[in-house]
Amino acid sequence: MARMKFLCDAERCIECNACVTACKNEHEVPWGVNRRRVVVLDDGVPGEKSISVACMHCTDAPCAAVCPVDCFYTTDDGIVLHDKDLCIGCGYCFYACPFGAPQYPQKEAFGVRGKMDKCTFCAGGPPADNSDAEYKKYGRNRIAEGKLPLCAEFCSTKALLGGDGGMVADIYRKRVLKRGGRPQTWGWETAYKAAS
Amino acid sequence: MNTKGLTAVVFVVAAGLSGCYESADVTVHKQGKYMGQKDPLLSQQGAARDESLKKRFQLVQLDR
Repeated sequence: MARMKFLCDAERCIECNACVTACKNEHEVPWGVNRRRVVVLDDGVPGEKSISVACMHCTDAPCAAVCPVDCFYTTDDGIVLHDKDLCIGCGYCFYACPFGAPQYPQKEAFGVRGKMDKCTFCAGGPPADNSDAEYKKYGRNRIAEGKLPLCAEFCSTKALLGGDGGMVADIYRKRVLKRGGRPQTWGWETAYKAAS
Repeated sequence: MNTKGLTAVVFVVAAGLSGCYESADVTVHKQGKYMGQKDPLLSQQGAARDESLKKRFQLVQLDR
């Protein structure tokens, strides 16, 4: 069984934000919510890098671990989804997520957040596939149509890959080998720069 | 005390006592177990869908 994963190749991402736009348009994402964002590292400095970030559909999802109403479920192919009918908007998942994926659409009085919204890997939610109810709450269900997330399919430089984790890893491995080494964005040197 | 008054007193006492009742039954569910509706997408999963998604990946996301 495949495990669905996203991967953003920082060497290829050109910060065009097409993935963000595609996602917002495909799912009619409300104002104030971005299921996907492009993060720029060392903005304005020569050698800056960009990565597109959304829910990473963690294998052992911390959002699901902290949810007090257990509204999260994981499909057999590793997509982390949730039931908005159960969500109480407590915000625990927002604090638990290392990627800032859970978002809340309503900013009302007394801290009412509304139902949590996040990337669904274009797999919708519990209502019938591609029904009005599903579209309204979770957006379009492309997986049920045999398609992959639009953000990845829309990426002009093929920086953002989304699909079977094994295939994604194979492509990235080939790219790294072709470039003649590992990308220098990540690693020990980046995380622990010398004090000098 | 007439019958109507007695009935009213009995009713008020019964309503008051029922309002004070607290059920000792606590709903306990296994922590971490999904409690929402079943997603029809889950029943679709299988080798055929995996294969179609792999084909789609090769069609759309590889370098042209």
